[in-house]
Amino acid sequence: MTTAIHLFDAVSRNNRWLSVRQSTIASNIANANTPGYRALDVEPFEKVLEATRLTLQATQPGHMTDGATKVTAVDVRKSEPWETTHSGNSVSLEQELINAGEVNRAYRLNTGIAKAFHRMLLASAKA
Amino acid sequence: MHDPLSSALRIGASGLEAQSKRLRVVTENLANAQSTGKTPGADPYTRKVVTFENELDETIGANVVKVGGIERHRSPYRVEHNPGHPAADQNGFVKLPNVDIVSEVADMHEANRAYEANLQAIKQAREMIAMTIDMLRTGS
Repeated sequence: MTTAIHLFDAVSRNNRWLSVRQSTIASNIANANTPGYRALDVEPFEKVLEATRLTLQATQPGHMTDGATKVTAVDVRKSEPWETTHSGNSVSLEQELINAGEVNRAYRLNTGIAKAFHRMLLASAKA
Repeated sequence: MHDPLSSALRIGASGLEAQSKRLRVVTENLANAQSTGKTPGADPYTRKVVTFENELDETIGANVVKVGGIERHRSPYRVEHNPGHPAADQNGFVKLPNVDIVSEVADMHEANRAYEANLQAIKQAREMIAMTIDMLRTGS
C-alpha cells in the first residue's frame, strides 16, 4: 500500500516539475523575438528530487510535520543555447519544440502509469 | 503559486498577441508601400517596426512577451525622379516610402513561424491538462 502511495507521490512531483518546464518553454517561445532575451530551462528533476527528499517523518503522534511536500518553486537556469542571434536572443524554436515534445511524452507516461496503478488499487478494493 | 500549466497557456497567448500585432504592422507597411506625400517635398509614409519586450507578469510569475512599441524605421527614403508628381520637390525628385517588400514578406513569414510555435506550446499545455483530468475518469 505504501509503495503505491509513494508512486503516486513521485508521479505528482514529476508532473509538477514537467508543468513548470512546459511553462518555461512557453515563455521562451513567446519571447523568441525579444532582443536580449536569454533562453531559460528548469534544473534537472534529479536535483529537485534530491533537494526535497529529506523530509522529516512523523513516527509519533507528538511529532510535527511540515505538511505536504513542497516542490512548488523550481529554480530556473539558463540552458545552453543552440544559436544566438545578433540581437542577443538565444531562443531556438526547434530546440524548444523538441523539449516540449519531450515534456509531453513524459507527462503522458506519468499519467498512464498513475492511471494503471489507480485501476489496480480499485480492482483490489472491489474484489 | 499559480498553476504552471495555466500560466503556460497565458504566456502562449501573449506570444500569439504579440505576433499578430507584428503581422498587422507588416500588412500596414505593405499596403502603404507606395504612399507618397501630397505637397511638394513632403515626407512619404515611413516604414514601421514593432519592438518586443520581455516582461515579468507578477500574477503568474513568468516571463510573458509584450509589444514595447511601434516605432518608425530610420532607414532613408527612396528617391525617384518624377517632376510631374504632386510631391516632387523643385529638382523633380519624389520621396517614396522606405518600405522594402522583400524584407516585409520575410518578416511576415517569420511572424507566421513564431505564431505556429506559440500555438504548438498552447496545444501541448492543453493536452497535458486534459491528460490530468483524464486520470480522474474511472472505468476506462
